[in-house]
Amino acid sequence: MSAVDRLQPIETLPGQERYVAPLDETPLREVDSIDESAPATSMWADAWRTLRKNPLFIVSAILIVFIVFVALFPSVFTKENPNYCSLENSLAGSSANHPFGFDLQGCDVYARVVYGTRTSISVGILTTIIVVFVGALIGAIAGFCGGWVDGVLSRLVDIFMAIPMLLGAIVVLQMFRSSSSIWKVVLVLALFGWVSVARIARGAVLSSKNLEFNTASTALGSTPMRNLFRHIIPNSLAPVIVIATTSLGSYIVAEATLSFLGIGLPTTTVSWGGDISKAQSILRTDPMVLFYPSVALAITVLAFIMLGDAVKDALDPKSRTE
Amino acid sequence: MEELDKVTQATANTNAASQSEGAQSSEEAMRAVQLEHGPLLEVKDLQVDFTGEGGKPVHAVRDSSFTVFPGQWVAIVGESGSGKSTSAMATLGLLPGTGHVVGGSIKFEGKEISGYKPKDFVALRGAKMGLVPQDPMSNLNPVWRIGTQVKEALKANNMDVSHEKRSKLSKALADADVTVNNEGDETFIGSQELPALLEAAEKALIEIGIEGEKLSRRMAQFKRDWVAGSETRWRVADALIKSGVKDDDAWYIAKKYVTGSSLEDRIAGLLDEAGLPDAATRARQFPHEFSGGMRQRALIAIGLACRPELLIADEPTSALDVTVQKKILDHLQMLTDSLGTAVLFITHDLGLAAERAQHIVVMYKGQVVESGPSLEVLQHPQHPYTKRLVAAAPSLASQRIISVKSRGEDASSIMEHQVNAEKLEKSETIIEVDHLCKQFKLPRKKELFKAVDDVSFKLKRGTTLAIVGESGSGKSTVANMCLKLLDPTSGKVTYEGTDISSLKGKDLLDFRRHVQPVFQNPYGSLDPMYSIYRSIEEPLRIHHIGDKKSRHARVAELLDLVKLPSAVMQRYPNELSGGQRQRIAIARAMALNPDVIVCDEAVSALDVLVQDQVLELLNDLQAERGLSYLFITHDLAVVRQIADDVVVMQHGKLVEHGTTDDVFNNPQQQYTRNLLDAIPGGKLELGLDL
Repeated sequence: MSAVDRLQPIETLPGQERYVAPLDETPLREVDSIDESAPATSMWADAWRTLRKNPLFIVSAILIVFIVFVALFPSVFTKENPNYCSLENSLAGSSANHPFGFDLQGCDVYARVVYGTRTSISVGILTTIIVVFVGALIGAIAGFCGGWVDGVLSRLVDIFMAIPMLLGAIVVLQMFRSSSSIWKVVLVLALFGWVSVARIARGAVLSSKNLEFNTASTALGSTPMRNLFRHIIPNSLAPVIVIATTSLGSYIVAEATLSFLGIGLPTTTVSWGGDISKAQSILRTDPMVLFYPSVALAITVLAFIMLGDAVKDALDPKSRTE
Repeated sequence: MEELDKVTQATANTNAASQSEGAQSSEEAMRAVQLEHGPLLEVKDLQVDFTGEGGKPVHAVRDSSFTVFPGQWVAIVGESGSGKSTSAMATLGLLPGTGHVVGGSIKFEGKEISGYKPKDFVALRGAKMGLVPQDPMSNLNPVWRIGTQVKEALKANNMDVSHEKRSKLSKALADADVTVNNEGDETFIGSQELPALLEAAEKALIEIGIEGEKLSRRMAQFKRDWVAGSETRWRVADALIKSGVKDDDAWYIAKKYVTGSSLEDRIAGLLDEAGLPDAATRARQFPHEFSGGMRQRALIAIGLACRPELLIADEPTSALDVTVQKKILDHLQMLTDSLGTAVLFITHDLGLAAERAQHIVVMYKGQVVESGPSLEVLQHPQHPYTKRLVAAAPSLASQRIISVKSRGEDASSIMEHQVNAEKLEKSETIIEVDHLCKQFKLPRKKELFKAVDDVSFKLKRGTTLAIVGESGSGKSTVANMCLKLLDPTSGKVTYEGTDISSLKGKDLLDFRRHVQPVFQNPYGSLDPMYSIYRSIEEPLRIHHIGDKKSRHARVAELLDLVKLPSAVMQRYPNELSGGQRQRIAIARAMALNPDVIVCDEAVSALDVLVQDQVLELLNDLQAERGLSYLFITHDLAVVRQIADDVVVMQHGKLVEHGTTDDVFNNPQQQYTRNLLDAIPGGKLELGLDL
């Protein structure tokens, strides 16, 4: 039976008679017409629209704006000097000007929490900036060049990956105990933090490098470098931004941990980690001294992690959990 | 169920009968059975909604009705988004995401199933309704062997044949005189007993006096036909009777030697039925070892594993080459005819629908706009949408598109074009490809892979040269070398007399300005981060042409050229359809006023109507601007519409080269003939009253 034989007209079966829909019920539209009413949306505009509606983002954004404001202008919130400690106030309870009371050394806990914000936020933000810059650059180079360059850089990343960040930081910081700037913590955290960003950036560049619009662009006369900066990097930014926002919180935690261990920031610098460390000895007698800096730390980290989640949802709709 | 068995038997018998008595009577017999049995699937006023953003219902299917009779092929035709797949998935209870049936009825074997719970559907799927999905690449689990995946289909429906049938059979054999029933006759040959069966068959043949050449030919045919796990007892008996063995003897042999197959035999048999050669070995392979066509065959084997009454084939071959498509569909048709399976065939290809299905249902925007006997509907379409579809279908009968200009609507520019042509007569050839070779190093293999092997052709100015071939024929590699995106291993490409491999710096930039590409994938070739304006402006920017204001004017002009409103400028690629993106890509290619455009499968991903629109556009541009096209495609029907010359490629080699008319009317090579034969509906004349 060839195909054509099957088509000999035979009587139609019931229910299969010829049917033509009335035209007024099925109006024809222009072939491939454009819906001009819908608003134009770029990826960023889309992401912003999603973000704006996300309660997670609203809450975390308000918190972060507040925290950053506190970090920038601590004197608005307290008139006390966090470094002015007098032993006669040791473990004194809260009063009108000192809502959180005093610690063992007689320092004002509220003032120290407020001034500690600045340390945490600056370490977090500075580390993130360095990490993103270094990590994205190395990752992008590895992904874009490929070949032996990628081989060498990827092994380097693997080596750093093998060293636990905190352990490495402890070892390195032991060597620079004398230095008293926050930069030492920032640089150490960046030294062990860039690898995760580099990995993500390399993957993102690799996948957007092979997209067809790069070939199209080359055929239009674009150079590889132009492709890298005009097409590949903009298309690889989203995952890097996501990892940067989520890891900002973890740098703040790492700084606090290092300060708690006594090898991070010098004792003269007001920091939540250092205060928590000092407060642990009097945990039984006055737990509130430990409570306030811990809560401040927890809220800050939570705010950044929530922001990271919201940004991830907005930039990568596929990962959204409905 | 019993009744359907009858139908199955009837179709199988009529199929066998048709060989001797001719097609007409079998069709009548079929029709009688269908009438008696009534419709297998009856969909009435079906409505399917999806829940859109903010809980608003989106109507995907509205008031659609169609009927499928047993053993029939019914095609649902429509463009993407017309609701054809949604209608089919609703009958399977497999609506994706938020889809749900809100109205109408779906009756399967007379039972209303639209209100079924997921659990009820489980019993129905596989055993009663099979599915052959669209994308063979993603529908097989890459971590399981093919055979395991077929076994899964059998086990999920308790069709683990070896066990239950064997026990039944041994019981039957225990009673001295074997009582023949349908069940027993449907027993499959086992691989263990096959040699003994063949031996007995040979003996029987010799006994009735067949010998020599004839005997060995018969035996060879038996060896080929009797596949363990696929051929049944009654077919064995039938084959023996046809060869002249007496009825009683034939049945005796069949009953004695065909006693049942193991599960492995059955799996191999199913794969063999689906057209996979050397099935037992293939069953132990993994999906990645299979080509697209082989995967689709495995999916067909899975879909038909439990002998469903209805097979829903959702664009089963749209990802495959035409020749593979033809082979697979021919095979599927043969298979479903012999099993009496009805097929609900979803396709966007009118030619395919006309060729394969008896009944056709045309859908548009979620509604059935026309339905009826397929040839009648397509030859005498009545609804404007069907008319439009038929007019756009690139069937073999269609001629080269005539451009607006040549239709004489603008005489002055024809004159201009002629002047141009005279001026350029000196250098008639714009691109010349000379003994081009390209070799690739394959991972983990020593020898080099020859992607392009000694290909030469000339592209004449102002004409279109099409390169046709199946996937892997090296046609895209040729295109990339013509664009200097790849460097040839040997041979050369010359543009206007200069070898392009030596071009560097400014000369290369200049070459890029004159030779522009349009790529296959309209979703990949535009940067999603760029607005349409920036995308089209990019070549102007790269080549430092004009200032901000003049570029803006140029982009608007280009959009107008491809018939898109200038409001599109601020939009982003994700807001546009595939066809619109492809038109943007053409506008971008046109930005620098090139001489040559290389279209690499530029219309392959588009719906028929949109494809037609883009082809018209390309053709009009050629007439207006004297462009030359290098048109890479796998679709010969499209070639007829647009090309002046054709190059046919196979396995990297140039097989045939000639003018379009020569190649189509008088193909010299078998390969070209195969390609032409494989064009779906190529021999049918559609749209008689248009």
